Amino acid sequence: MDAVSFPDVTQLAVPIFIAAILGEFLWIALKGRGGRYETRDAVTSLIMGAGSVASGIVLGFIAWGFFMVLWEITPLDLGTSIGVIVLCFVLDDLRYYWVHRFGHRIRWVWASHVNHHSSQHYNLTTALRQTWTGTFTFMMVVRAPLVLLGFHPALVLFVGGINLVYQFWIHTEAIGKMPRWFEAVMNTPSHHRAHHGRNPRYLDCNYAGVFIIWDKMFGTFVPEQENDPVDYGLVYNIATFNPLRVAFHEWVAIYHDVTQPGLSLKERLLYALAPPGYSHDGSRDTSDTIKAKHLARQPQDSGTPGF
Amino acid sequence: MPLELLLILVIGGIAAIALLLHLTGRSDLRVLGEAQAREAWLRQFPESPIADLTLAKDGHAALIQTADDSAELGLVWSFGADTVARFLADAKLSPCKQGLHLRLADFSAPKVHLHLSQPEAMLWQAMIEAASAPQPQMQNQPPAQEV
Repeated sequence: MDAVSFPDVTQLAVPIFIAAILGEFLWIALKGRGGRYETRDAVTSLIMGAGSVASGIVLGFIAWGFFMVLWEITPLDLGTSIGVIVLCFVLDDLRYYWVHRFGHRIRWVWASHVNHHSSQHYNLTTALRQTWTGTFTFMMVVRAPLVLLGFHPALVLFVGGINLVYQFWIHTEAIGKMPRWFEAVMNTPSHHRAHHGRNPRYLDCNYAGVFIIWDKMFGTFVPEQENDPVDYGLVYNIATFNPLRVAFHEWVAIYHDVTQPGLSLKERLLYALAPPGYSHDGSRDTSDTIKAKHLARQPQDSGTPGF
Repeated sequence: MPLELLLILVIGGIAAIALLLHLTGRSDLRVLGEAQAREAWLRQFPESPIADLTLAKDGHAALIQTADDSAELGLVWSFGADTVARFLADAKLSPCKQGLHLRLADFSAPKVHLHLSQPEAMLWQAMIEAASAPQPQMQNQPPAQEV
């Protein structure tokens, strides 16, 4: 059943992305609330998005080849019925949750994902600020179980595309809260705003793609707090709109750290694989130490969501 | 979707959005007052309280003298509609027509152009150079630890 093919939904959604960005901007301009836009920030995000599509076209064959090898190996074939597509979508969303969590907790994967968090704005262009270097994280291995279980690689990539398209609309401040039942089950603008926060409270939370239930199951859910407005961006914000620097700055930082003289092999490996903020001499902060230092300054926050 | 159509959509879309944002005033640099500059510094470095702050006349940057043990000099500056901040320990300074040009040893913050009047530029240059000059070692004082 190797002739299976599905549309590339992310490419098909490009006109919708552009129309929605214009719509969000007009809404903000007319209403005077619901977010902010800045020219160079938005253009950088859009170029990162275009570069990510180009990177997929150029390097996509590596993941595709890997999946097709697995497809040759597996004796299972679940077909492409509606039920199988829905099941694949849900399981792939669980896959997304873990890849995203690794993306924040393993510096090697963070080096690819960091650019998505590098804007201090949060609008629909931020959704398109995507990685160029995802292939080099080798996170395609997390999709391997799906293929080995009998989901065709084309189906796995199709549902992954739908997952990404879903996540576009949640990158906005123009929508406050959705109905309570929706907020309970689905990832929403409110949940994802918290994920993009650099406030100590919001570090390493809400990794969900489509279903927020994964965060609730695995203990990483933090609801957006009215008394702690989200401060968007990185703990250590970058000062460049150059897409090449945005795409590669953390890879360069890893290189400098790993190659500094006088380190043991273990320390070199930890600079690449430990959570972001690791340092062999304890001179830097991880999200855990940032939270601890915040609680030392603001002990009344202890026991509140995120702490 | 044919690649040609995708390219037209992407390039045309980016150009249209950029033009719209620029023409509606979304390219302006943020202007800081002393309070905003102070807040912007502490937003980036909450553990480095400010002893002294020198705000540029155009409100686009401020030199920060920190009050902690290291007493390092830092810079907070407008970055589009937002702000960024860095310590200036490894900064390379050169005067230019508009003021000062700083090169930082940081791939994610490679350079800063400071628009300063001539007297302002001279004062800032002196402060930055004084802060980066090696401090005389007191006898019997242990060497400073590398951070």
